[in-house]
Parts: sequence; structure tokens; C-alpha cells
Amino acid sequence: MTDGQGLPGPGPAAEPGAGADLAVLLTHVARGDQHAFEEVYDRMAGPVLGMVRGVLRDLAQSEEVMQEVLLELWRTASRFDAGKGSALSWVMTLAHRRAVDRVRSEQKAAEREFRAASAQIDYDDVTEAVEATLDRERVRHCLRSLTDLQRESVTLAYYGSYTYGEVASLLGVAVGTVKTRMRDGLIRLRDCLGAE
Amino acid sequence: MERGGTELHTLAGAYALDAVSDADRTRFEQHLARCAECVQEIRGLREATARLGAAAAIRPRAELKAGALRAAARTRQLPPLTRDAAATRRGRPARPAPGRYRLWPRRWAPRLAVAVAAGFLAVAVAMGALALGTQHRLDQDKVRGHAIAAVLNAPDVTMLTARVTTGGTATVLESRHERALVFTAAHLPVLPAAKDYELWLMGPGGVRPAGMLPHSRAGMVGPMIVSGLAAGDWVGLTVEPADGSARHPSAPVLMMSLDS
Repeated sequence: MTDGQGLPGPGPAAEPGAGADLAVLLTHVARGDQHAFEEVYDRMAGPVLGMVRGVLRDLAQSEEVMQEVLLELWRTASRFDAGKGSALSWVMTLAHRRAVDRVRSEQKAAEREFRAASAQIDYDDVTEAVEATLDRERVRHCLRSLTDLQRESVTLAYYGSYTYGEVASLLGVAVGTVKTRMRDGLIRLRDCLGAE
Repeated sequence: MERGGTELHTLAGAYALDAVSDADRTRFEQHLARCAECVQEIRGLREATARLGAAAAIRPRAELKAGALRAAARTRQLPPLTRDAAATRRGRPARPAPGRYRLWPRRWAPRLAVAVAAGFLAVAVAMGALALGTQHRLDQDKVRGHAIAAVLNAPDVTMLTARVTTGGTATVLESRHERALVFTAAHLPVLPAAKDYELWLMGPGGVRPAGMLPHSRAGMVGPMIVSGLAAGDWVGLTVEPADGSARHPSAPVLMMSLDS
């Protein structure tokens, strides 16, 4: 790590190619391989930025969080454990947690009240901002297979960064119901996505 | 399973969505340490949330990449966890010291107005990005929701805030492109029963009523969509008879120029 500018010298013999698995790339990153990190960046910057923007909305702030997340991947790649889940899941979990922490630490109570009021709106034609991907179609298809309450609970939590208690009061249902719907909704989503 | 385990177990979904308080998270992670089945379940649920997140991918600006690579080249990596360390640190993801990895100065001033708009927009994107249809809403609400979403997502959306002279704050998100604005207000004084707040557009095109404000919920009013903006318009707020019978605005309690 003394070569601060990271001149692209010859990589290790087993340098992963463009088609390499993300998990394999991360093991190379963990050993300080800057080429592998560049490949991870190329693959994950878009998904991380899009998700974070869904949570924070402000693009400049989202870019900042995205860069922090990518740097965190570089820093902590050695902690990735393929036995505990996929690399995508590891990356997106880290990124989502970052985004949610940022929202919760910076938002004032008044704003949270306001979100409660504004969450009543139906915004279902705002797709242009999101680049079309095959996976998006699949996710959308699978989201449709959830019940309304499951879908609303899952998306308000994931993209609205509400806690389950807040989701319950937003939707006007019991806290226990929301907890169950979140779990059932994710199980259904998982099964639908896995069963393609 | 320990006492209370069943109740805790239902938190799995909320936990996988990061929809828990810090206290809940700690409790649930203690539970996870004793429940291999739950670890397995969380793993599956996290795969689902990861796909949900990745589906919103957008293309980052190309300029960002060089900065990320430079930052990485300057940043020391963590060594792999040894078995002992892994045991003591399990369930506690490594988190950097606050501020240390910030690449840019914070541009975000936590002013109420900015926070309000950001939260507002976050919900818009969250609900919109995945094109969630909700069949149970009324058509009228839907049309209104679409119009609001169009303003929030317009490329030129700008935000204005102002104090209402009689108390409270108003926030306007405006798009020239959509020729529309979204009006919201917080903590307006409560009016006598026969009175309500009314919005007006005032400009070279004349004075046009823009609708009675809905009643406040938890101190917040709106969001309310106002269409048909013209160049040079101001938005005004007045107190009028609740039946909407006012032909002309009375003295405004708020006037905002929309020319920013």
C-alpha cells in the first residue's frame, strides 16, 4: 500500500478476469489487489448508488455514501465470509445500513412526522430515474406477488428507512402485524427470486 | 429456544430490512448468536433485500471512479479476523470512526426545510422506483399522486421555504418544466370552524384560486399539488370562508415569489 497512486502493474498470476465471481474478486481485494477493486467498483458502484439514492434521494449525498461504501469494501474485504451469504448480499447489506444510519442520524423529528404525512401518496409512475435492468423486471414481478400490506411494509422499511413501529403507524395496522408481514413478504420475495 | 425467542423471531424480517431500533438490533443479534436456524433465515432474507436494492441500480458519474481508486490506494486494509477475534467480535460489523472516511465535506445542512424535502423525495423515489401499483387507492388520489411525483422527479425541481406571518412554515417544491408546484406547510395556527386556508397564484396572468388547503395531520398540511404556473407567478396563502366562496384573496399571511 506504499504505492499511493496505484500504478497498474502486472497483477498476480491468478488475477480474476472480467467474468469472475464477485466473491472471488473480494478475496483478491482482501489481499490488496487494486485491479480486483476496480472490477468490484465497476460492478457494485451502480447498484450501491441506486439503492442509496432510493433511501437518501439527494444525489450528491448518495454519491458520497456510495464512495464511502466502496472504500469500506476495500478496507474490510478480508471480513467477507462466503459461508455466511453471497457477496452481493454482503455489499448491499453494508451499503443499506450506511444509508439508513445516515438518514436516521440526520433527520429531525419534524421531518419524520412529515414523511408520515407524505407517505400516503401513490408514486407509481416514476421509473425514468432508474435504469432498466433485467433484474429489476424480475424484482418488480416478484414484488407484485406480495400482498399489498407485505409490499408496502417491505418497501417503506427498505427505501423509506422507517422502523417497523413507524411503518405500523403509517399503515395504521398493529405492530405485530407489520413484523409478520415484513418477514412473510421477504420470504415470498426470496422464494420468488430464487425460483426463476 | 429461550424464553421470548418466538416473539424475537418474528423480528427477522424487520431486522433484515434494517427496520429496527438499535436496542432491537442488539436484542436480536444476541438471539441470533444462539439460534442457527435464525442465522440461516436471515441469510435468505438478506439475499432478497440485496436483490431489491440492486434492482434500483443507476449509473454513477464516471468521474467518481478515479477518486474511489485513489482513496483505496491510500487506505490501509483490515487484516483477516483470527478465530479468537472472530468469536469476540461476531455480530458487530466493523464500522469506521465517524468522519474518518468522509471523502468530501458535508454539504448537507440539517435545516428543517431541506430535511423535509429530502424525506419527501425519499418516499417518492422509494415508492416510484419500483413502480408499485396499489390497487386499493382511489383514482383521484392516483392522479394527484402522479402529478406530485412528476414535480418531485422533474429535472429542474427547486425548493423554497418561508415563514407564514401568523405562524408556521411553508415549503414549496416547484418545477418550471411541469408548470406545477407542491405545497406543504407545518404548524399553521388552527383557524375558527368557518375559516380555512386557501392558496392563490398571483402574477401577470391575474389572480387565480389554487385550492383550499386540506386539514392538518400531526401539524403537517399537504402535500398539495398546484398546476398551471405561469412566469412571474407568486404563490399566496390567505384565510377565507371554509366553503371556498372567496372570489378575491384577503390579506395574505404568506407570499412567495416563484422566480428563484
